[in-house]
Amino acid sequence: MHAATHPQQGSAATALPEPTNVIALSGQQSGVARVTAPLPIVKPVPITNLARWMSNHALSALLWCVSLGALFALWYFGTKYRLDFFIRFTNIPTPAEVLDKVFEVNKSSKYIVNIGISVRRILSGFGIAILVAVPMGLLIGRYRSARDLLLPACEVLRPIPAIAWVPMAIMLWPTNEISIVFITFLGSFFPILLNTIHGVNAIDPVLLRAGRCLGASEARMFWHVILPGALPHIFTGFAVGMGVAWVSLIAAEMISGQFGVGYFTWEAYSLISYSEIALGMITIGVLGLACSGLIRLMGKLAIPWMAFSAGSNR
Amino acid sequence: MSDASKGHIDIRNMRVVFGSNGNAVEAVSNVSFTVQPGEFVSLIGPSGCGKSTLLNIVAGFVEPTNGFVKVDGAPVKGPSANRGVVFQQYSLFPWLTVRKNVEFGLRMQGMSSGQRETSARTLLGLAGLLGFENHFPDQLSGGMKQRVGIVRALATSPQVLLMDEPFGALDSQTRVVMQEILTNMWQQFRISVLFITHDIEESIFLSDRILVMTARPGRIKAEVPVPLPRPRTPEMTATPAFIALVQRLKALIREESLAAMGSELKDGGLSGFGMSVGPSGVAEVM
Repeated sequence: MHAATHPQQGSAATALPEPTNVIALSGQQSGVARVTAPLPIVKPVPITNLARWMSNHALSALLWCVSLGALFALWYFGTKYRLDFFIRFTNIPTPAEVLDKVFEVNKSSKYIVNIGISVRRILSGFGIAILVAVPMGLLIGRYRSARDLLLPACEVLRPIPAIAWVPMAIMLWPTNEISIVFITFLGSFFPILLNTIHGVNAIDPVLLRAGRCLGASEARMFWHVILPGALPHIFTGFAVGMGVAWVSLIAAEMISGQFGVGYFTWEAYSLISYSEIALGMITIGVLGLACSGLIRLMGKLAIPWMAFSAGSNR
Repeated sequence: MSDASKGHIDIRNMRVVFGSNGNAVEAVSNVSFTVQPGEFVSLIGPSGCGKSTLLNIVAGFVEPTNGFVKVDGAPVKGPSANRGVVFQQYSLFPWLTVRKNVEFGLRMQGMSSGQRETSARTLLGLAGLLGFENHFPDQLSGGMKQRVGIVRALATSPQVLLMDEPFGALDSQTRVVMQEILTNMWQQFRISVLFITHDIEESIFLSDRILVMTARPGRIKAEVPVPLPRPRTPEMTATPAFIALVQRLKALIREESLAAMGSELKDGGLSGFGMSVGPSGVAEVM
């Protein structure tokens, strides 16, 4: 009778994880409470969740495959049937020809050396851009005088695309190599700079106040509050900057280069080696993908708290 | 943990004017009061009466137009770890774990990491947060965030604790629990507290003394001592003495709210005020 009028007590007892407790408690109560045990109600919940999770992710995976498959199918069938309808597949190499080329170019070290040189240029140009743009952005974001001193020059130079700098860069720098690194640097510099400035401006002022009233000096504010506070935006700048760095690098290599995947691709065009053109393009795509993946990974390691912030459902 | 002679706040002839010539607004007008060492004082008043401005001056974020603040005889010049501040908005550093947030002030003082960890864990234990020391702030509920905020402000053993509507953003149930936790912690630390609120029950439950401010420009309208015994318990809110104080304060605030809002009758919309004052950033203060 007691348990029947309070059925929730019975369900509380049966929900306890330790079986000994269940026995001890249910001994005082009638069997009515045990009939109302919620086990059959609880059980289906994880199944529907699991099913929902599966269907969500299965759909994602399916759409991924469709997306990539459609791209490959266009290439495969376009080249197989030599489609010619405004877009002309007549001279486009087939996937098999490009795959053959992969093995062919790997017989000598030329291809891999070209990749190595491009990667080296990216890392130097992008690395220098980080070292210059992040401190500069932090200063511009923090101090009005730094902004007034540095930003006008940046704003005047910013609309000039990095590619437009190629002729000037060749004259400006002692070697071709340095001028290509300079172009790469320029491409990534502005996205990193602007995102860093924005990151500093976006820091909640209450965090700055909190830092001050916990005794942080100006220098420590920079290291312990402003830099970590701006870091999510800085990494956005890295991601954008890396993309622009590759665009700039490939253009520079095509125009002024010796070596590099951009040069490799342009050389293939000059030599009318169609499959090498395609291979060069795919190489650039894969390298770009790898670099942005690396940035994302670094971001995840450097900004672990972002996984918990509101609105991040990655 | 704190000695009895420390934590004296002296505010003298304080006047604050925002803006210049044409559209100058007098936020605070000729306010003088003191907080005794170990005393818990609340400032209440209608929206826009300058109570948060007063707290920001004591914290060192805003400079008064006239008058001065002294804490233990030393004039306030900018923010310092000697004056702990708990903000209305959540102000934990999102990139630091709960424990690292609490350690922040000690780290700025150059304390070794071992010592820091020991004292942070002790404080987190007092606030019932030991199980969450390695969580990031975004993983905590609002009430937990503010508990960490209080603990973080106390970590450097400040002379005074300044609290600017710390529970204003919390739901009413959580707020009641937080008031109990705060009164218990205060009982242990016996630190001087200047507490800003617009919640009358909250101010009575927590304070030794309540200062009621007038509508803008803010002046001290009345000083109401709270003779309720310590330690305070939630049951006290139902006693006749408590209810009488609520009535008295309500009447005082109501007069000012009416004065401030004209025909509007409701004493509402106060919570946003703490965020809007202090147009000057920290950088400008320094």
